[in-house]
Amino acid sequence: MNQSPYERLLQESVRGELRIVNAGLPKSRERLSNLLNEQYPHVICHDGSTHTFKKGELEYLESIVDTDEQKALALPMLIELGPNQGEAAIICEGEVEQKTISKVLNMPVKCEQRRIRLYKPQLALLRRKLKTTTAYVFSPKIVA
Amino acid sequence: MPELIRVRPTKIELVKLKRRLSLAQRVQKIVKDRLSILTMEFLQTARDTVEAKRKVLDESSRLYKALSIAAGYHGYIAMGKELAATEADLKVAAGSRNIAGVRIPSFELVGSGKSTRGYNLVDTSSWLDRAAQLSEECLKAIVELAELQRSFELLAAEINRTKRITNALEYLVIPGLQATIRYLNMKFEERDREEKARLKRVKVLVARE
Repeated sequence: MNQSPYERLLQESVRGELRIVNAGLPKSRERLSNLLNEQYPHVICHDGSTHTFKKGELEYLESIVDTDEQKALALPMLIELGPNQGEAAIICEGEVEQKTISKVLNMPVKCEQRRIRLYKPQLALLRRKLKTTTAYVFSPKIVA
Repeated sequence: MPELIRVRPTKIELVKLKRRLSLAQRVQKIVKDRLSILTMEFLQTARDTVEAKRKVLDESSRLYKALSIAAGYHGYIAMGKELAATEADLKVAAGSRNIAGVRIPSFELVGSGKSTRGYNLVDTSSWLDRAAQLSEECLKAIVELAELQRSFELLAAEINRTKRITNALEYLVIPGLQATIRYLNMKFEERDREEKARLKRVKVLVARE
């Protein structure tokens, strides 16, 4: 099929968008207890760059979770965007994320099917307090 | 009127176009989500930047006042002599973080961890202590402002770029694909009708013979 150069350019830029959007995600997440002991806490991302955590945020999280929960809390916490733009969901492995988010937002949240559902205002508040310890995930699947 | 894409009117091309349309729609959804997230972060960063600028100006103003008072109390020469021996062992830990695909710098002022500042406490007064404390706070505020200002610029540039891609998908690519698919469907229907009419004529001719 003969494509116009403009159409080819658009197709390439669209493919590029999908590559860019999730390239900054970490290859593996680190536990809070390990990060607190590091001098320059960071994780390596898929595109080879580093995602640095601020010590102030790690100390804040340390103050709101117990020692056992620090070993269970994996950072950065991943925020998946929902099917409509008004909702987002945090991917949670256990109760520690639920407790942490409740304390940060100062309101109860519930973990259902490994997801904690948040609305936009809650998401804005969470991101204001935890800028480096949370990261966005763009999933092509629809979160039910 | 959306522009039609030049393709051969075959069923294979129709299938390819439908697949491309579905991909474009999925990507449009992702890009729109990304744009809304970037906009939310941009507005928050803008508010924080304004706040940080105000903080830097306030801290600087308080620092210069405290420094003037300390200089007035000790004298410039004596104060210079005391401060000449001191050196701030401060570092800026520079890293980066990612917001929805945008690389943002991250700066944090790291102190030396020493409890004393290095000058003689006996020969100096609390005015100098106050000035030193305010200067540390001012430095911290400057580092925070640097991070926020750069993040603000990078997010703004990325929002512009993403908006153009969203608009291109919404007003050009997807309508073009939809119009071409409609055109091909019309072509196939017309072909089917022609085929039916031809078959009827042939049947009539064969029946006459």
